[in-house]
Amino acid sequence: MSEVVLDVRGLTVVFPTHAGEVRAVSDLRYTLHRGETLGIVGESGSGKSVSSLALMGLHNRERTRISGEATFGGRNILALSSKEMQDLRGKDIAMIFQDPFACLHPMHRVGDQIVEAILTHADISKKRAEQQAVELLREVGIPKAGDRFKDFPHQFSGGMRQRAMIAMALVHSPSVLIADEPTTALDVTVQAQILELIERVKRDFNIGVILITHDLGVIAETADTVLVMYAGREMEYGTAREIFTAPQHPYTWGLLRSMPTIEARLKELVAIEGTPPSLVAVPSGCPFHPRCAYAFAPCPTELPELRAIPGGHLDRCHLSPEIKREMGEANVAERLGAVR
Amino acid sequence: MKRRVGLPIVALVAIVALASVLVSAASGRPETKSAKGGTYTVGWESSFGWTDSFDPTGEYLANAFAINTNLLLRGLIGYNHVGGPAGAKIVPDLATKVPKPTNGGKRYTFTLKNGVRWGPPVNRAITSADVKYAVERLARPKNGAQYGFYYPVIKGFDKYAAGKAKSISGVKTPNPKTVIFDLTKPTGDFLMRLGMPAVFPMPQEVAKCFEGKPGAYGRYVIASGPYMIEGSDDLDISSCGAMKPISGYDGQTRLNLVRNPNYRASTDSAKARESNPDRFEFIVNANIDDIYNKIGRGEYDDSYATASPKVFREYTLNASKRKYLHSNSADGTYYITMNLTQPPFDDVHVRKAMNWVLDREAMRRAWGGAVSGVVAEHIIPNSMLANRLAGFHPFKTPGNRGNAAKARAEMRKSKYANSGGVCTAKECKNVLLVTDVRAVDKLTLPIVQAGAAKLGITFAARSVNGAYPVIQTTSKNVPISNRARWFKDFADASTFIGPLFDGRSIIPSGNTNYSLVGLKPGQVDALGVKGTTKGIPSINAMNDKCQKLALGARRTSCFAGIDKVLTQKIVPWIPYMWANTVTIISPNVTKWNFDQNAGFTALAHVAVKS
Amino acid sequence: MPLYIARRLLWAGVVVLIVLLLTYAVFYLLPAGDPALRFAGKQPTPESLALVRERLGLDQPWYEQYGKFVKSFVAGDEFGWPGLGISYNTQIPVIDQVTERAPRTLLLILGAAIIWLVLGVAIGVLSAIRRRTLADRAAMGFVLIGISTPVFWLGLMALFIFWNKLGWTGGTGYIPITEDPGGFFSHMILPWTVLALLFAAIYARMTRNTLLETLGEDYIRTARAKGLSERKVITHHALRASLAPIVTMFGMDIALLVGGAIITESVFNIQGLGWLAIDSTFNQDLPTVIGVVLLGAVAVVIMNLIVDIAYAFIDPRVRYE
Repeated sequence: MSEVVLDVRGLTVVFPTHAGEVRAVSDLRYTLHRGETLGIVGESGSGKSVSSLALMGLHNRERTRISGEATFGGRNILALSSKEMQDLRGKDIAMIFQDPFACLHPMHRVGDQIVEAILTHADISKKRAEQQAVELLREVGIPKAGDRFKDFPHQFSGGMRQRAMIAMALVHSPSVLIADEPTTALDVTVQAQILELIERVKRDFNIGVILITHDLGVIAETADTVLVMYAGREMEYGTAREIFTAPQHPYTWGLLRSMPTIEARLKELVAIEGTPPSLVAVPSGCPFHPRCAYAFAPCPTELPELRAIPGGHLDRCHLSPEIKREMGEANVAERLGAVR
Repeated sequence: MKRRVGLPIVALVAIVALASVLVSAASGRPETKSAKGGTYTVGWESSFGWTDSFDPTGEYLANAFAINTNLLLRGLIGYNHVGGPAGAKIVPDLATKVPKPTNGGKRYTFTLKNGVRWGPPVNRAITSADVKYAVERLARPKNGAQYGFYYPVIKGFDKYAAGKAKSISGVKTPNPKTVIFDLTKPTGDFLMRLGMPAVFPMPQEVAKCFEGKPGAYGRYVIASGPYMIEGSDDLDISSCGAMKPISGYDGQTRLNLVRNPNYRASTDSAKARESNPDRFEFIVNANIDDIYNKIGRGEYDDSYATASPKVFREYTLNASKRKYLHSNSADGTYYITMNLTQPPFDDVHVRKAMNWVLDREAMRRAWGGAVSGVVAEHIIPNSMLANRLAGFHPFKTPGNRGNAAKARAEMRKSKYANSGGVCTAKECKNVLLVTDVRAVDKLTLPIVQAGAAKLGITFAARSVNGAYPVIQTTSKNVPISNRARWFKDFADASTFIGPLFDGRSIIPSGNTNYSLVGLKPGQVDALGVKGTTKGIPSINAMNDKCQKLALGARRTSCFAGIDKVLTQKIVPWIPYMWANTVTIISPNVTKWNFDQNAGFTALAHVAVKS
Repeated sequence: MPLYIARRLLWAGVVVLIVLLLTYAVFYLLPAGDPALRFAGKQPTPESLALVRERLGLDQPWYEQYGKFVKSFVAGDEFGWPGLGISYNTQIPVIDQVTERAPRTLLLILGAAIIWLVLGVAIGVLSAIRRRTLADRAAMGFVLIGISTPVFWLGLMALFIFWNKLGWTGGTGYIPITEDPGGFFSHMILPWTVLALLFAAIYARMTRNTLLETLGEDYIRTARAKGLSERKVITHHALRASLAPIVTMFGMDIALLVGGAIITESVFNIQGLGWLAIDSTFNQDLPTVIGVVLLGAVAVVIMNLIVDIAYAFIDPRVRYE
């Protein structure tokens, strides 16, 4: 494997509020390598975006308690001052967001916003920066980049905006690119293009990509590794192949089952019963137990540890390895249409 | 020992005394500081408020009279600009002496003094033709004369005004120094009518450019008095088109007067005009507090403004400031007017009862208390009747607080009340009362209402901003109003009696005989009067009789008699206060006097530190 | 854009004429009594009243008078263009009265506007970025005081303290800048500040609220993600986006003050347009009322247009054809 570019251990993000403490992320751990796409998947409120914003240092320092370690470039970036973080952001770690229309300043030209990103971390002339920006726009596949440079965001289509965002993220060749739901707001056809672009960029710039999404289809297409989150906790973590061929966690089974596919002819959509818990009042023990069909004695009281089962990958569940393997296989078979 | 110490001190004192005597002798002036010089500054509240833009032909504002007669213009006769009864004495101004009327009181002959000249840029001698021009100008209807009704007594005036004659036959000018007035009937106060600026001489060469444009001449007034509008000497009168308004008066915010170089003090009397300051400035200021602040600091010397209660208090309670506040009789009456044609006031007993019940002292307090004036005993202020009616107070009550018992006793005699003296008839309920929106009206209204309530009379009060147009429109038939007050035009009782109580003065719009005293049945339809129109008492005949008398004790007694009849028998009003004019001046003013005729500071006699 | 401007200007003309029409109607329908009485003296005879009415043109029905007015307005009269006639009250041509006073009011507004814009926005920004700290609470306290304090009280207090007692500034009155620049500023500093205070408070609050809203937008997050300093984020991104409501309000406030700074003008005796408006209304001086209303209406309409055009420059999403 190539070089480790980001190593996260025990990342915890807590927001103290009047209603109580919101435990948005608890004890997250993963490792990202160059050239690797890590897909973080989970429902809304699972803590996937919060954890990445914590890495970027984009939370309000006064109103957030962040603990844990995120080793990047030899230092724990969670412990850096805001000035030091500001220096890293947009240069060594970059992030793109879900709704590119809302994410670009409506009153500044697209080109100028990219130039701004360049000049923030580089002391070059404006002309040079503009040239670089046009180059980048061309690279991310925007036609007539020279003209489009002068346009305003509302003159771009959705897909083009996201390409521009990606260009903006890449101006300083970051080591890590975090893409938070980059395709959710786009048409399906454009989705594919953007994902392809991210993939190409990853290879060309040799960066580590964290792709956050709730869409398993996106994960299936692009992720190398997958991390499943629920109620702020890591539930399952392994390679994409492992997750899709041998899922171990009941929550993952539920996710996979609820995905409509072309092969399986389902009479109705299968949803996971219940709703995700409020992060102020996370259930005791395993946070998923109230919705888990397989919950048994230890689940309500004991939080399972993140453990690798023999011959498998990491997951957080009390079920025995045998049951996990069996149920996992059944789940996969079901999905592949063997059961009619 | 003592002697030796004493001697040097005595010597020192002697040397100093000798020195000061020598110095003052050398300067050739008396010991007291000279009063001449300096600028007298008057802060003017909110806006000039002229009625005719300072054009003497129509200008009726009392402040304008003050400026004109004291400083800017001279008439055939004038006043000495002092306070009290002496202020009403007629003295010669441009004329050599005050003539006695001849031809049975119908002819007045005047001779102009030598050496009286117009100020720059006209510069020539003032002639009788200038007097005739002024009178004819005011007669011509298109020139907007606002008190022209005083002058049809001049023979031929009406005919000329109607366009049926080429000149006024009753004004004769046999030579440049002589003016003769012939009247249609003896008119005792004719001299006083000549004391008003509309008939002061006017230079035709300038005024003719503004023929038919009332008010326009106001920015080009040529001086005949000791002062002129600053910048008059730069006025180009070579042609009407060349004329530009005199720079010292901008029409809106500032009027500056400086000495008139063509004025000869020898043609005037120091008793009438001392002309001490070199300069007068009248400055409009939108902020009343600021006016009084500036007076306190000496930036202004005087004001044409009404002080707030706070300023009143400051100057009346503070011993060191008390001397800067002057309170003088303004020769005016504040009153409640009752309409003789409107029930329940068509019954004289009701009107008398109202006079008994009103708390006049409370009304005075509402206006500001002792400083604002004295409680009125009858209709015409005592100062205008030479105190002939002093003590005549038919409705006197202890402390002037009103007497409900006496009031009810009077009410009992009326056709509206029950035996208890309380009105039970529907005519007494919700009677329309027109009042104004000034702060003081809100204070006086409840007092009137409280008094009337004791008699069973209730009002439907209607507040109008600027109530005069409503109560002056006869067809509106307003029964009662607490808004009214009346000031003299000149110091003769006729200026009260005529416009206020003569039935022939009643007009449809702009009427001031609110009570409709003397209304004749023939007038009713044309005026739109609805109500009790029969048996309205009249003083018309008495007025005619008194008007014929020459100025003097007989005339005064005659009018006093009308006052008695009105106050006691006809009772159209509840007069409650004879107002004072309160003037607050700055410490820089070294001499101050009150001009009783104008009702303001005697600008002709003030002196200020230079 | 030029076509748009042309159309708007045409509309502006129509609006102004309608405003004047309404003014005429209101003037004659108000039960204030016969204006002719005001200029006819005590006890006028019906004939002299009739003459006054004829001279002032009051004997014609109001719509005819309005028609005559429009004609002379468009064509100009003996005093210049537009033809506004002569004041009943002072016999001065209305044009001269208005042009004499307009610069005073405009300079008053200009100075105050600069102060309130800078002060208000600065306080609003400070307050927004230091939300819930002492600075924010102090700023909002200032806002509350600024909005609730009556202007006349503030003006009188300011005069009392700074002129009467301390002698730091000039007092009331107006000195043209061409005559004495030092005196001009010394007399204007208090009215500028007093007038500005109320608006500064309003703008501080508006800036704070708009800025807080804007700071929650996604593009602000993007800006931060790019590594921009917080100062740049606020000035270049957040404020830029918050400009629109501030500019709109600014334009309208200035326009309304043209005829409306009455209290400040009277407390400081500036003899501007506001005072002229009141005085001429009380005196039933129709031509002057029309003159001031006209100026006010034109100011509002023009500022409206300017604001709309500025809007197009501020926010490129807005386009006019």
